[in-house]
Amino acid sequence: MPPFLGGGDMISVVTFEKSEWAPVPAKFEAGTPAIIEAVGLHAAIDYVTAIGMGAIEAHERALVDHATARLAQVPGLTLLGAAQDRGGVFAFGLDAAHPHDLATLLDRAGIAVRAGRHCAEPLHARFGLENGTTRASFGLYTTKDEIDLLAQALAEAREFFK
Amino acid sequence: MSAGSDRRRAEAAQPASTGGVNPSGQTTGLFDDLRDLYQEVILDHGRKPRNFRRLDDATATARGDNPMCGDRIELFVKQAPDGTIAEAAFQGRGCAISTASASLMTETVTGKTAEQARALGAAFRELAMTGTCPDCGAALADDMERLAPLSGVHEFPSRVKCATLAWHTLNAALDGAQEASSE
Repeated sequence: MPPFLGGGDMISVVTFEKSEWAPVPAKFEAGTPAIIEAVGLHAAIDYVTAIGMGAIEAHERALVDHATARLAQVPGLTLLGAAQDRGGVFAFGLDAAHPHDLATLLDRAGIAVRAGRHCAEPLHARFGLENGTTRASFGLYTTKDEIDLLAQALAEAREFFK
Repeated sequence: MSAGSDRRRAEAAQPASTGGVNPSGQTTGLFDDLRDLYQEVILDHGRKPRNFRRLDDATATARGDNPMCGDRIELFVKQAPDGTIAEAAFQGRGCAISTASASLMTETVTGKTAEQARALGAAFRELAMTGTCPDCGAALADDMERLAPLSGVHEFPSRVKCATLAWHTLNAALDGAQEASSE
């Protein structure tokens, strides 16, 4: 298989007549390797290791419980999925607002969400949600206060569009 | 997390926790500054779109898709023998902005020739992208005034295509192209 890209470290011999490629995988890895990415990955691994996977899991479970309770109180909100061991990812619909209108409002409140069909168009069709859903994701850097702000913003957004 | 986003969150949290009544007696809400984007006329046309139906005797139709966000409209145009748009109607689904834009478009292009409708569409796209249309001229002034409530989208680049989908679809219908995309 010929390489699709030329560059540093992917040849063994180059003459005017022809080039010989380095053995794989170098042949297919022309140019500067992903040094910054590797250093960044190392830092990320150090970071989560210092906090501890157990602590991260406990934090995320607490956020999931809190969000499940708070979002259930938002009028007109339908939460998708009810798995026992769900992660901190919540997709929902709000009766008064299209997901993209809702995302614009939440953005104004400083809350970044994804709106649309999340690369799962057939699943949204299966649930009769052709307009898609809005999705908020929580991680170890998310706080309960932020989830409260989300719930409050959703309730206000509903009033805005009603 | 950058300092910028921390500050932004802190600012955003303020009205959320204090929403109510401001010193001048007006009701304050978290999203008051979005009223320019979502003017009452937009919300009204978004909730109750006009000309939201099939035209079984349409002379030109086209489907418009915005695959990124799932907005989809089917546009029906009925042209008189002289080319004048006698009727325009649409069906489909989308956000408040795309629905309101399609609704307002069907109202404004009725009675126009195809060329006038295209010119209006070009002027509207300029309005949606920049917020103004300095070269629109007096001939389009009345129609542009009706479409002006949508000019707020120019401050929301990700939403411009919501507002322009219907007009792209109209061009496709007039071209006989049958399909349009605002991507």
